[in-house]
Amino acid sequence: MEPNSKYKIGDAVMVAMENPTGNPRTPKYIRGKRGVIGSVHGILENIRDHRGIHKPLYTVKFDLSEVSTCHDQDTIWVDVHEEWLSEVRDDEKN
Amino acid sequence: MSGKHGHKPFEGHMHDYEAHIKAVEEDLEYYRAKRFEPRIFYLLRRNVVTFSDLLKARVALKRKNQFFKPRKPEGKNIEARVRYLEEWLDEYVKGIALVSARAVEAMDMVTEDNRKERGDYDDFFKIKKKEHYGTLQERMVNLEQDLADYQEMLEVFVQALIKRGWSTREELEQRWKQLHEERPWAGGVIVAKAWIDPEFKEALLTTGREALREMGVHQGKVGKLVVVENTDKVHNLIVCTLCSCYPYDILGDTPWWYKHESYRTNIVKNPRACAKEMFQLELPVNKEVQVWDSTSDVRYFVLPQRPAGTEGMSEEELAKLVTVDSLLGAGYALEPSQQREAEKSGATPEAPRVRPD
Repeated sequence: MEPNSKYKIGDAVMVAMENPTGNPRTPKYIRGKRGVIGSVHGILENIRDHRGIHKPLYTVKFDLSEVSTCHDQDTIWVDVHEEWLSEVRDDEKN
Repeated sequence: MSGKHGHKPFEGHMHDYEAHIKAVEEDLEYYRAKRFEPRIFYLLRRNVVTFSDLLKARVALKRKNQFFKPRKPEGKNIEARVRYLEEWLDEYVKGIALVSARAVEAMDMVTEDNRKERGDYDDFFKIKKKEHYGTLQERMVNLEQDLADYQEMLEVFVQALIKRGWSTREELEQRWKQLHEERPWAGGVIVAKAWIDPEFKEALLTTGREALREMGVHQGKVGKLVVVENTDKVHNLIVCTLCSCYPYDILGDTPWWYKHESYRTNIVKNPRACAKEMFQLELPVNKEVQVWDSTSDVRYFVLPQRPAGTEGMSEEELAKLVTVDSLLGAGYALEPSQQREAEKSGATPEAPRVRPD
């Protein structure tokens, strides 16, 4: 497990609807959707790309049917920074 | 591409002029709208150069002072003209790298600024791309005109940067020379090694860039590298829906379809239908499709499955079976017979250009 990272692989998470901090890199089609942490990258420095240090990064796994009207049993894996995610409690899971 | 990857570009015959022209059209608009103009806007807004600098530079421009030399096709046949357009586009792309490197350094611009300037996060700011119509001949004439126009803007911009003291002609010439150095494309050798060396494969899948260092291949430095493996159960596809993040430091120039809006939209809506329509790829029902939507901090590529009938082949032979599309999940690695057939008919896909960092 990465130090400083709030979530671990397998955690159920929900993506915020609105941009919480000004870091814009979260695609619209996953906003408000539920997924599961697929990998934990921790804090990545990327000085050529953006100023400052973003929150820890995760790859979140979504069922295709959660983010699209398509019902194939496939999955979409999206990189999301921590401030966009909140925990889904057990009693909120389907 | 130099001959290092085993073939030179444009050797043999071009089979599909239409496809070549479409790629030039797509790339040209991409580089204008996504690279050149956002950077100009950025610098205009911050008074690094002004509109009047550009106008004055245009008026003062003399042929003998031109930085970029005019180009001519080597022959009148269609193949020579397509080649000429492709090479001109490549010079245009290098020209953008040249002028923006200096200007961007001067302003301490980071990639993220560029994405904002061109409207990746806000449709209001999106720079409209030109659409292309007409017969192949008409489209080629239009492309020549577009290239001439865009190149002129680039030229004027260079002149304005020099005039404003952001750079000197000597410095730009030095950089221009560096930009023409290329590294060999390593996509094929990386995959071939992973196919025959389980230890390397494990390292590649778990440590990404670290494994490339051990192998002695240029590692690149654009974000974290993650390699995902295609198996009998899983087929992976790579996309960046927000812009077009790509491990270009390892895989070289991005294929045009990867940057295209229809791919970036549809692959996460209905991956199987999109793969079928765009790549004639029918993904088996017993495989799970996994689409990886990259953000700038992590760059992905796919480790394709080793094709049947390749037992006993050398690493060098195996490397030739690896296409760019197979590294993104838009295709499979070639079977040996397909590769031989392509080589015989001169239709071997060109290896992408890998530019210096």
